[in-house]
Amino acid sequence: MAEASLIFILLERILSIFTDELINIPLINPAVEMLLKIPFLNVIVAFILWKPIFHVLILPGLIGMTLVLLFIIYFERKITARVQWRVGPKEVSRRTGGVIQALADGMRYLFQEVIVHRDANAFYFLQFPLISFLPVLLPLLFIPAGGTYGIRTIYTIPAALALISLIPVFIVAMGWASNSKFAYIGSVREAFMYFAYEIPFLLAVVAMIVLYQTSDPFEIVAKQWIPGAVMNPVAFLVFFITVLIATSRLPFDIPEADQEVAFGPYVEYSGIIFGLVMMLPYEKLYLLSMISVILFFGGWNGPEIAILGDLAPVIYLYIKTIVFMCVVSLARSIYARYRLDQSLRLGWGVVFSMSMIALIISVGWMAWLRL
Amino acid sequence: MVKVVKSPKDGLIRSAAGHLRAITEVAKVVVSPGTITVHYPRERRKYPENFRGMIMFDMDECISCFRCAHICPANAIQMYPDAEGRYFPGIDYAKCIFCHFCVDSCPTAALKQSKIHDVAYRDVDSMNVSPEQMNTIPEIVREDSVTVEYDFEKDIQLVRKKEFENLLVEVEKPERPEFKAVPQYGENCIGCRLCMFSCPVNAIKSKLEETKVILETDYERCTGCGICVRICPTEVLILTPIEREGDHQ
Repeated sequence: MAEASLIFILLERILSIFTDELINIPLINPAVEMLLKIPFLNVIVAFILWKPIFHVLILPGLIGMTLVLLFIIYFERKITARVQWRVGPKEVSRRTGGVIQALADGMRYLFQEVIVHRDANAFYFLQFPLISFLPVLLPLLFIPAGGTYGIRTIYTIPAALALISLIPVFIVAMGWASNSKFAYIGSVREAFMYFAYEIPFLLAVVAMIVLYQTSDPFEIVAKQWIPGAVMNPVAFLVFFITVLIATSRLPFDIPEADQEVAFGPYVEYSGIIFGLVMMLPYEKLYLLSMISVILFFGGWNGPEIAILGDLAPVIYLYIKTIVFMCVVSLARSIYARYRLDQSLRLGWGVVFSMSMIALIISVGWMAWLRL
Repeated sequence: MVKVVKSPKDGLIRSAAGHLRAITEVAKVVVSPGTITVHYPRERRKYPENFRGMIMFDMDECISCFRCAHICPANAIQMYPDAEGRYFPGIDYAKCIFCHFCVDSCPTAALKQSKIHDVAYRDVDSMNVSPEQMNTIPEIVREDSVTVEYDFEKDIQLVRKKEFENLLVEVEKPERPEFKAVPQYGENCIGCRLCMFSCPVNAIKSKLEETKVILETDYERCTGCGICVRICPTEVLILTPIEREGDHQ
């Protein structure tokens, strides 16, 4: 008897932790209140609607990211086809124009055999694709979405960028574990590209942090009555180009060049593991797009919607992120591919000097606004 | 004469203008792409009447003249005898190059073109089509309801029309000359009389004059089937069209 009451007290305690920071959505509030009266189920519901969990697992987080990935792959194929006067994916679900093509591909990957070839270091070969989700999902904990947030610190942007910067390490490691010629070339290229973009990329972000004089996204977004892209267009340009390089989008698809090294570091993967590693650049793109929207496009700023409550800013951020990703994926139909040496020269030459100019512009703004 | 072309100067304004032009061009195409893909099973491109598709055959019109088999550059046409000993063409589609020389050479339009260009066979052997099979129109499964035409007038574009196109082409029948087997080169005759025995209507008679066999055709009876012409080892008999009065005016 005493034990049972102890459990109930414990559950009450846990529930009170969750309900303290419950996401407030007036649209579903009656249903939530009803569910919270049911014992045991209320803990699960409160857990899902707890702000950090909702943030990481549902909207900007895992489920939202999955939806974006499914959409962006379809969108990228379709828009590229449109520019190239083709039709693009269409046959899977014809009535909707093939929207579920990416989902169908994912299903196919699930039923495909995962082959681990003899030369591969099987342990790391299978491990890296799975643990590469760490640097993908951990930054989500730091990047806030207005209404919801995982961890709130004033060092959000540096922390998120530091975690995102880990992704190339995993890609290089995958290429190493594959122990194949193409994978080796691909991972060396990935390492080269990492050197090409990382410094201008960080300098562009630093320029924006200098401009806002804080790295807390809540303050950054609050300060953006003019979007950051207008305040410092050079920093935005540098950020955009480096995002293209960082996510191996087409003008800079050097590490995974299909036509040269057949998907580079990922060449030996098959089945669902290939599905996971193929998603990696897209996931990185999603994260960088979120940071870019926060830094340059006013984050979750937008007219308030009363009925959505805390969800409205999340949805603003989400939609802006998707639009930014769409623009990034359109870049592949505009520009021709760069060679490795060309993009290294670009990264260390033009883009690097542009990032220095961006820094100077930010310092200039700061000095002018202080006056 | 050698013409020296200077590479344009690489300037900031020039490259910026180039980027802008590329972006506007892509934006223009995104808004209105010039896609000219024909969604094939659901819509079909409209082909001209003389499209060289699968070859249709009408056995009743065939006069067994062998012209198709002779003219075929790919050696794809073989003549098969039927129960009565008449020969009809059968096409080996594994060899056929769809030049339609046979269709052009056919004097009675027994062979004619069609717009069927999507035929599937189970294996290579079944691609060798016999005259009987050629006589029947193949089973066509059609999913299309739209006919598409390319418009080359201004910029190339597609014109879609909601109409169902008939894949079989109606060909005007040429005036069919009546043929008779004429023993034209009597000096070649070796007197084997195979023609006489092979004639299904007993139209050929032979006379022995000294050491020579003289062939005679009863033109009333002769149907111009060509069996004797085919069987004659020394090509004495020739199928000759009958010239009626008023044919050549």
